[in-house]
Amino acid sequence: MSIDFRKIEDNLKKEARRLLEAQKVSLVLAYGKGFDENHPMPFVARNVSDVDCIVFNEYCSANLARYLVRYPRGTKIAVAVKAADSRTVVQLIQEDKVKREDLVILGIPVYGMKDPKTGEVIDNKTTCGLYNPVLYDVLLGEEVHGQPVLSPYDVLAEYEAMDQDARWAFWQKEFERCIRCYACRKACPMCYCDPCFIDQNKPRWGEKSPELPGNLMFHLTRFHHLAGRCIDCGECSRACPMDIPLYLFHKKIAKECEEMFGQAAGMKIEDKPVLINFRMEDSDKILE
Amino acid sequence: MKKTALNQISELAADLMRRGTLIAPVKEKAGFVFREISDAGRVDLNFYNTLMSPKSAFFPPTEDFVRYDKSKTVLDAEGVEPDLKPVFLLGVRPCDVKSFQIMDIHFSDTAPADPYWKKRREAATIFGYAFDVDAPADAADFYSTLKIGAADPEGSDIFMIKKGDQLLLKAVTPKGESLLSSLNGLAQAGAEDEKYFDDYVARGRNFKTRHACVEDGVIAKKLEDLFHKTEFWEKISDACLSCGACTFVCPTCYCFDICDETLFGKGIRRRVWDACMFTDFTLEASGHNPRTKVYQRLRQKICHKYSFHVRKYGVISCVGCGRCTRNCPVNIDIFSIVEKALKT
Repeated sequence: MSIDFRKIEDNLKKEARRLLEAQKVSLVLAYGKGFDENHPMPFVARNVSDVDCIVFNEYCSANLARYLVRYPRGTKIAVAVKAADSRTVVQLIQEDKVKREDLVILGIPVYGMKDPKTGEVIDNKTTCGLYNPVLYDVLLGEEVHGQPVLSPYDVLAEYEAMDQDARWAFWQKEFERCIRCYACRKACPMCYCDPCFIDQNKPRWGEKSPELPGNLMFHLTRFHHLAGRCIDCGECSRACPMDIPLYLFHKKIAKECEEMFGQAAGMKIEDKPVLINFRMEDSDKILE
Repeated sequence: MKKTALNQISELAADLMRRGTLIAPVKEKAGFVFREISDAGRVDLNFYNTLMSPKSAFFPPTEDFVRYDKSKTVLDAEGVEPDLKPVFLLGVRPCDVKSFQIMDIHFSDTAPADPYWKKRREAATIFGYAFDVDAPADAADFYSTLKIGAADPEGSDIFMIKKGDQLLLKAVTPKGESLLSSLNGLAQAGAEDEKYFDDYVARGRNFKTRHACVEDGVIAKKLEDLFHKTEFWEKISDACLSCGACTFVCPTCYCFDICDETLFGKGIRRRVWDACMFTDFTLEASGHNPRTKVYQRLRQKICHKYSFHVRKYGVISCVGCGRCTRNCPVNIDIFSIVEKALKT
């Protein structure tokens, strides 16, 4: 079975038109034309006349759920989501940043999505490896079945083979390149703190200059702020102009959280984020 | 005019390293980047354009100004002088060379001059390097739209053009002339090479990137008229994440912040790159922030480059290198916004 991108695009347009016409939502978060076909852009349809500008192809890797927190609470929004993006929505609902009743979730079952910068397939490398959205109101294509089940943690093999010192050396080397453009933070749907700790100056938690001490402070803190919350969409890594493999750390923490608490981020609305929830049966491994 | 074999570029690099600091493109994981060279063999001219612009040679991401010690009863402070060894900047594309001239407006041509930029600029010899006019331009580039040729030697001290497996080097300024004549291991170019060079420069002027040319004044006026049309700016900034990727890779973005970094009383006052796309860029000490919305910040960026700058200095502050477009996490293309404005 192959993905019919054209059909998904048509369905997305159809749903957007229906929702806007019936005034069920005030905006639809979708994808629109970019400067060429391989570079589609996140697009907001507010009127029926905007609907024709909607596109969907294999380069629509952006996680649109990132934009949900930008609009005032109570805004009725329809959002097009792929699997990892739907987990974002679930996680945001868990964290009470958006309300389920304000959303119309347009699910996109898909695989073979590509990074617009490199053309590389991102399925389980930088994203979570699921094909079907975990939560949706309308499905814009046929559910994907029969594809190989991919573990999002396969790509960790090389990283996990390193010992502690090698990992420390690895991250120091990677973060030396960081230019502190904060594209990772801004692309991250779970990074919604205002202001971010690194922007505070009383006290200043980390230096602003793009050098190793401040870079480490920023990234290591950000990694841990996302522990148990990262839904593995891979947007941080794709956003990074310096190609720093941020996903490795996020996936490693996600894997440990899953092993310790038996719960992956953003899978069920009823769940609570693991690090703010206490259960008697929780693992004590963290204290050992 | 001189020439050398492209595969002997490391010898030229080694010669330049004996004379001062060499900054040239090297291949790294994320792409080609200008770096200070310590191993001549790493210089690699087989690049399209670098990931980061070469502005960091004159405007480093971090520049130390003053070292101080607050732990004493009297403040102990000492200015930091920039390193003044001769610098050779090798392999700069014509659009990026143009960016130095635009940056000069701010850092040295208008008072007060910035001594750090000025000294670094004076210490540098620029080896410009023509784009390949036989290959199509990258989809993101639009330098010809801004009337910059793919092989314009202006602004370089020495200009380089690839001819098969050879590299032609022609002096453009007296500084370049005296350096070029003293360089070892270069062969004298013949009359045929001279003709090839001149033809190439002319072909570079006719080389087209993706957009048609637009008059600076027309763009500037249009954006000025649109400034208060909030709906327009809101719509174009719907996708913008307000990160600083575009400004940090940009060769003409020059905004900076001055920070004191102190540890146990001792510290450095330093300049670090800042970006108009950051929320705290305009945050005032009172807590008031005149640009809290994404559209206000993106509008500032576009209007500064294509409108305010034209009105104030008569030139667009963009060279069409395409870096912002290539590196935008959500594929925003700056010139598409300008085109949209022109059609509004």
